[in-house]
Amino acid sequence: MVQKRTLWYISFVLLVGIILLAGWQKAAAQEQEQRSGISNAWLLMQAVPSVSWTTFSTRTHFAFEWEATPILYSWGMTKLDPPLHSFFVTQPERFAGSVEFIISTQLYTSQVGASHWGFSGQVLAHLPLVEHGEYLGFNLGIARYTIAGISSNYFVGGFSTLFGFLHYNIKYSPANETWMHSIEVRFF
Amino acid sequence: MTHKNHFLRFTLFSLVALFGSLCTPGCSSFFTNFITNSFKNLPNSPDTVAVKVAHPVFQNVGLSVLWVGHATCLMQISDKIFLTDPIFTETAGMISKRRIEPGILPSSIDKLDYILISHIHFDHLNYGSLSMLPKSAVMLLPEGGAEYTPEFGFSDYREMKPWTTFEADGVRITAVPVSHFNGRYGFDSGWLNYNTYTGFVIEYKGKTIFFAGDTGYDPEKFKKIGKKFAIDVAFIPIAPIEPHEFMKRVHADPEEALQIFHDVRAKIMIPIHHRTFVQGLDSSLTFAQDQLKRLVIERQLEDRVLILKIGEQRILVP
Repeated sequence: MVQKRTLWYISFVLLVGIILLAGWQKAAAQEQEQRSGISNAWLLMQAVPSVSWTTFSTRTHFAFEWEATPILYSWGMTKLDPPLHSFFVTQPERFAGSVEFIISTQLYTSQVGASHWGFSGQVLAHLPLVEHGEYLGFNLGIARYTIAGISSNYFVGGFSTLFGFLHYNIKYSPANETWMHSIEVRFF
Repeated sequence: MTHKNHFLRFTLFSLVALFGSLCTPGCSSFFTNFITNSFKNLPNSPDTVAVKVAHPVFQNVGLSVLWVGHATCLMQISDKIFLTDPIFTETAGMISKRRIEPGILPSSIDKLDYILISHIHFDHLNYGSLSMLPKSAVMLLPEGGAEYTPEFGFSDYREMKPWTTFEADGVRITAVPVSHFNGRYGFDSGWLNYNTYTGFVIEYKGKTIFFAGDTGYDPEKFKKIGKKFAIDVAFIPIAPIEPHEFMKRVHADPEEALQIFHDVRAKIMIPIHHRTFVQGLDSSLTFAQDQLKRLVIERQLEDRVLILKIGEQRILVP
């Protein structure tokens, strides 16, 4: 019971943190120059969840997942585009070659242990394969997931297609032999 | 609850979300028809261009133009070579299918000084095509284009706000405002706070060319361009036309294209952005061109409106 309350608390803090950071970014962008950046339309698109399913030893759990990128370093763009980005990332800045830190929360449709919630941090590199990554890219990285109070490290590999909107990643934790599949929808 | 029930609930929720997004007002009929039309054409090979100019770049010429197809035009003024919105690939953005081959091979462009990108849509900022071009060129982009442009290895890149001018080696290129729409992927227009589309006016050695890119009709903008420049040749888009109510805000039809030609007070007009790709719901590839031909004959503009074939090169000033 305590564990469940703790997870709710962490998820609340995480969500508030994301909203505050995004709001701060939006205000900072407005102060500098009226270029692209976090807007109400952008915030709305971030509410569209990705989907994932995790196969534990006994059963498979499905989940909706929301992701945010506190920091991304892009190396595939021209000198006109700065390499560091926070929260607001255009698709080419990601798929043309980048490495990003992603935080995410998962809402499982069935109870995992004592909870429906999971949390993760990932470091993921995006390597372009076809059309500078717009048609096809390769993802590679590591992740740490906390699900039902149990934390595990995962290796991540997969690909992105459809202009970088659709990512399919497979994650494997050698410690507890858990496989996770995710179809991630990245709207900037 | 069983595992099967969880899966069904999950699938049902996803399908409802997908169906809901497809039923957004304005999205349904146009996009369904456009996508159906595009998919129908995907397996077909583009029609061939009988004669392709093998050496489109001259040692020196007063002014030559070559329509490669769509909004891709190769222009030469004296010793400088300009290429607009290059697209040589078989599709634009995976779906929209090319119906006729490019008028030249990209490898035949052995010298290139400037690449002009009017906006960031797939058929104008085409990554695959840009990778095929000589790296000596300077690439000029509309404002905000840098956020959508990977590194291609060109010698330089410049973003241009409306009414700013790039000058180098006697060449003056001015970004001029046109009327189109933002973004590359559709919904990203919701968070772009500036116009990622532009036209260009090129001035060099006493010749002036206006490239409108992709635009709807806005008399105020074009009359202002006409007052500022003495334009020799204007490249003006004429398609897609249908559905007209949907398109007219962002795409000039042949009648409006002639009005733009009149407003910018150019000596010669060359229609572009037609015949090449599956676009909108136009009933045939030559739908816009046929309309333009009728209007040109009615108004006796045959000497001033040059309707080029794909791959056709004209030396306008020897």
